[in-house]
Amino acid sequence: MKSKKIFALTMACMMGLGAFAGCAKKKDEILNWKFFAAMFGSEINDGNEIQELIAKDTGIRVKESWLTGQTSSEAIGSIVASGDLPEFIDGGDGSEDLYKAGYLVAWDDYLAKPEFANLKEMYTDKEWEMFKHDGHIYWANVFNNSYKGKPVSHGYNDEAFWIQVRVLEWDNYPIIETLDEYFDLLERYYKENQTNEDGTKIIPYTALCEDWRYFCIENAPEFLDGYPNDGSVIVNLDNPDAPKIVDYNTTPTAKRYFAKLNEVYNKGLMDPEFAIQTYDEYMAKLSTGAVLGMCDQWWDFAGTVNENFKANKLDEKGYNYVPLGPTIDKGMTNRWYIGATDTLNSASGIAVTTSCKDPDKAFKFLNRMLDQDMHNLRFWGIEGVDYLKKDSGEFYRTQEMRDKWADANYTKSHCCMYSYFPQYGGMSRDGINTMQPGDSNDEFFAGMAEPLKKCFERYGYTAYNQFLRSTDGVVGIWYPMYQFSNNLKTDTEAGVAWTKMGETKHTWLPQIVVAKDFESEWNKYMEAYAACQPEVFLAYMQETLDNLIKS
Amino acid sequence: MSLMGTSSPALKEKNSKAEMKRQSVLLIIAALFVIYGIVFYYLPLFGWIMAFQNYKIKDGIFGSEFVGLKWFKFLFDDDTFLRVIRNTLCMGVINLVATTVTAIGFAILLNEVKNTFGKKLVQTISYLPHFLSWIVVTGIVHDALSLNGVVNELFVNLHIFKEPISFFSHKEYFWGIVALSHVWKETGWNAIIYLATITSIDPALYEAAAMDGAGRWQKIKHITLPGLRSTIIILLIMNIGNVINAGFEVQYLLGNGLIKPVSETIDIYVLNYGVGKMNYSLGTAGGVFKTFVSLTLIVIFNFIAKKTGDERLF
Amino acid sequence: MNSKTKKKVQMSKWDWAFVICNTTFMVLFCIITLYPVLNTLALSFNDGLDAVKGGIHLIPRKFSTDSYTTVFNIQGIRQGAIVTVARTVLGTLLALAANALLSFVVSRKKFLFRSSLSLFWVITMYASGGMIPGLMLLKKLGLTNSFWVYIVPGLVSAFNVLVLRTYMEGLPDSYEESAQLDGAGYLKIFTRIISPLCKPVYATVALFVAVGHWNSWFDAMLYNRTKTEYTTLQYELQKLLSSVMQQSGTASSDGKTASSSKVTPITVRSAATIATMLPIICLYPFLQRYFVTGLTIGGVKE
Repeated sequence: MKSKKIFALTMACMMGLGAFAGCAKKKDEILNWKFFAAMFGSEINDGNEIQELIAKDTGIRVKESWLTGQTSSEAIGSIVASGDLPEFIDGGDGSEDLYKAGYLVAWDDYLAKPEFANLKEMYTDKEWEMFKHDGHIYWANVFNNSYKGKPVSHGYNDEAFWIQVRVLEWDNYPIIETLDEYFDLLERYYKENQTNEDGTKIIPYTALCEDWRYFCIENAPEFLDGYPNDGSVIVNLDNPDAPKIVDYNTTPTAKRYFAKLNEVYNKGLMDPEFAIQTYDEYMAKLSTGAVLGMCDQWWDFAGTVNENFKANKLDEKGYNYVPLGPTIDKGMTNRWYIGATDTLNSASGIAVTTSCKDPDKAFKFLNRMLDQDMHNLRFWGIEGVDYLKKDSGEFYRTQEMRDKWADANYTKSHCCMYSYFPQYGGMSRDGINTMQPGDSNDEFFAGMAEPLKKCFERYGYTAYNQFLRSTDGVVGIWYPMYQFSNNLKTDTEAGVAWTKMGETKHTWLPQIVVAKDFESEWNKYMEAYAACQPEVFLAYMQETLDNLIKS
Repeated sequence: MSLMGTSSPALKEKNSKAEMKRQSVLLIIAALFVIYGIVFYYLPLFGWIMAFQNYKIKDGIFGSEFVGLKWFKFLFDDDTFLRVIRNTLCMGVINLVATTVTAIGFAILLNEVKNTFGKKLVQTISYLPHFLSWIVVTGIVHDALSLNGVVNELFVNLHIFKEPISFFSHKEYFWGIVALSHVWKETGWNAIIYLATITSIDPALYEAAAMDGAGRWQKIKHITLPGLRSTIIILLIMNIGNVINAGFEVQYLLGNGLIKPVSETIDIYVLNYGVGKMNYSLGTAGGVFKTFVSLTLIVIFNFIAKKTGDERLF
Repeated sequence: MNSKTKKKVQMSKWDWAFVICNTTFMVLFCIITLYPVLNTLALSFNDGLDAVKGGIHLIPRKFSTDSYTTVFNIQGIRQGAIVTVARTVLGTLLALAANALLSFVVSRKKFLFRSSLSLFWVITMYASGGMIPGLMLLKKLGLTNSFWVYIVPGLVSAFNVLVLRTYMEGLPDSYEESAQLDGAGYLKIFTRIISPLCKPVYATVALFVAVGHWNSWFDAMLYNRTKTEYTTLQYELQKLLSSVMQQSGTASSDGKTASSSKVTPITVRSAATIATMLPIICLYPFLQRYFVTGLTIGGVKE
């Protein structure tokens, strides 16, 4: 009796497995390929409507999967070790390791052929040169790249000290120039407002320290000193002919910045859980509107946070963030925003792997992604359903359409952006519309809640980046320097130094912020930092920079 | 005598041949399992070679350059690694002691409960956490100990704390938190064996002790605990090898930057360097060291157990 | 009867104090054990926005089953549930069969290679090649990106063999001897004589293995990362708990264009937690009498 039951159970299982196998078999000629990004993302549903349209068009259905439960480097590390590759991959900082292991297909032959003109068009020859390893191109970054190099953006995608518009409104829209003024404003506001309407306690300032996202606490000194985001070092241009690499971790500004955070923490203005919060908790905190300000990059928080504000009508209370670009002293120029230029990051991008059985088809797929009709389908959606067209040819959305696109359930089953595949910013080929809906003037101001709109109006700004009051200026060909350091691994001395510097900062920065005696903790930190031999790393970066200028 | 002596080897051989034939089924099964074991457990051990190489994926195990003990030197020159060993061993020992002591204590106390229904109920409830995954348990611990979690709420209301404590911001709490998580999860489960051993102790001993006027505590001290001795020892030996394995999931899921100096364990270090930074050689060297320590611990404890005439594993 | 009443009369003040203390302790113990689970349960049935305000203990403040609707609408959770059930049932049956067979062999007292075979398996308990060589091996064997990676590599575990062997060795030899006299082969002895006697210990080991299968997520992440059809329930739970609320187009030139999802409310996470632990919580009390016996006899020598 019992054994019969077990037998039946086993059979049921076997049949279940059979069903899996059946699923995997192709019902049509559409290839089911895979993509993995060493980034967080949300999976879209099987049978997603636009994905199916693209599949019919290209013959390829790409199942995207994202980072979960691991850090990005662990994920790429285990992929490299096992050699288990999807057809397409964006390895992030691990891209070079994928190349070193021989897992990536070179782009050069394809780029030379006319049928891949779209891909070729993405970058100038000089820019493609930056992607080369051993003379070959293995990936292409798809972000921060405007069509024909002409960005249009109302947004600001990068780092700033963010502040809620209600705080600015409360102080009658002041101009904030220095770090001290920024924290002073937060403090004054907090003195009078300790809780939100719904009873949540206000947190004047928080700083995320988790994993690679600790840049939120770590790299402000370079900006405060008036330098742009080279990421791992400052490039000092006092002598324009011989740019000099400077370590921003040990500058007097760095010390003053952390002393300020320490002061703020001890005054009780800083989130007591700042050092231990996970990214998830951080986002949840921001999404309640309880946090008045923080240092972060727009792409790191704004999408989710703004959406939650909208969904819960919190944006009407003035919880939206605008960026500020303070410096350490008054009267300095700041380079938080380096002007409307594309920032080329050659360190990572979309790649085709050796697991792909038909690279030709893969590159055709990538190429097809950049055709205007396909680009519109990915980012604007289906005409008549997701957007409408005026007689002038201009695209627009109704409020209902906007709401739908803000609804995660709808986007999961309907929208398919293939957001890590080749794409453009800027104006589209018709010269009327923007490549991405968010860049369109109407779309930008539509759906903005009243307090935010008012803030823009009062300052007389039409774009987020204007809040930063940065000095426009060209950046060197090396910009950003972090593309040369992010790939460093422990197989070189510079890499060991870089790794240890990172670990030391990870451990010490939160500690000096919470220290009772800042001065002595700072000295201990500096000692630990010096033990990592940062000079080895800096020498390597200087050498890289010099070689780059020479060539 | 001598006759038997000369014929004995031949007879033995004949016997063993016959025995082999008789056991052919067993031999085939054993062989299959040995093949399985070699493939899934022993073949990966060849990966240890990587610890002595400058391993490159492209070159493979056979093509990579040998660098001798370079990575082991790197490990022992690295302050982080030494701290990580300390963390692993300390947490391992604390967890082992804490879970053993609480399990024994719980078993003894539960044994004193005379109401059968109550006893059964408590015991059933006590197993529950064992069946939860660490993902769930760490989630529970994390929530309970957060600033507005139930622990802070309770202690602040009872005026034991003046203000909520951020438990995960302070290094000094972490080992305790890990130990308590283990205790919460495993006390009931671990108590099963102890409770069973206690019930198997001859009741006559207790009656005799009662006659002599022994109290509850004296009975526990002189009868129950000695009765548990061999069980405790065998379980300790079985678990001592795991002392060094005592840290991955919990610390990985509960740790954070601020308390990393006390939360990072060998496994996390290996994962960090070996997989995250893709230095497979260094990662493997860490793993080899770990295996070495765990085997040493077991052999030592087995030896001690043998000497003292107690139970042993092999 | 008489002696019992007598005993009660004899209970001293101290005895009473002890009983009271002990009972209090047991009640406290149960509360500490159950509270987190019940709290999660209460949260899972509460309205999402309301729960953020905190202060929910054992009873939902604003009742809602939305969280469960959300959880069961997640494609991955549904797929993960199927895979997890399949791997738990199949994996447990196969592992039990394999471990029992091996234990049967090493517990035969006459078996020629008994001690060497035991040693061969004891070593595997402590020496391991580590994660990376293991990963490479499974890839070479073609086990990655497949369902079987959940079943095959962990089929035999030395620890389970130890438990089973100890139990089998405790069975009287006379059963085997008389069966052999009747002409039964080893296989027949295993299936007809030994196995029926081993029910409790089989149940124990089956429970070990099943719990392991049910709760595992690391293997799904490591070996079937891009094979979403082989995702498991706990892995999906892990995804929810570490919440994938970051939008996919994070670094696009304007965050607004990217598709995104909302912050996963604590209620949804609670619902997912409850959903993943419910089956095993409902099951274990009924297996209790088996695993207590099995563990007791199998776990300890003598």
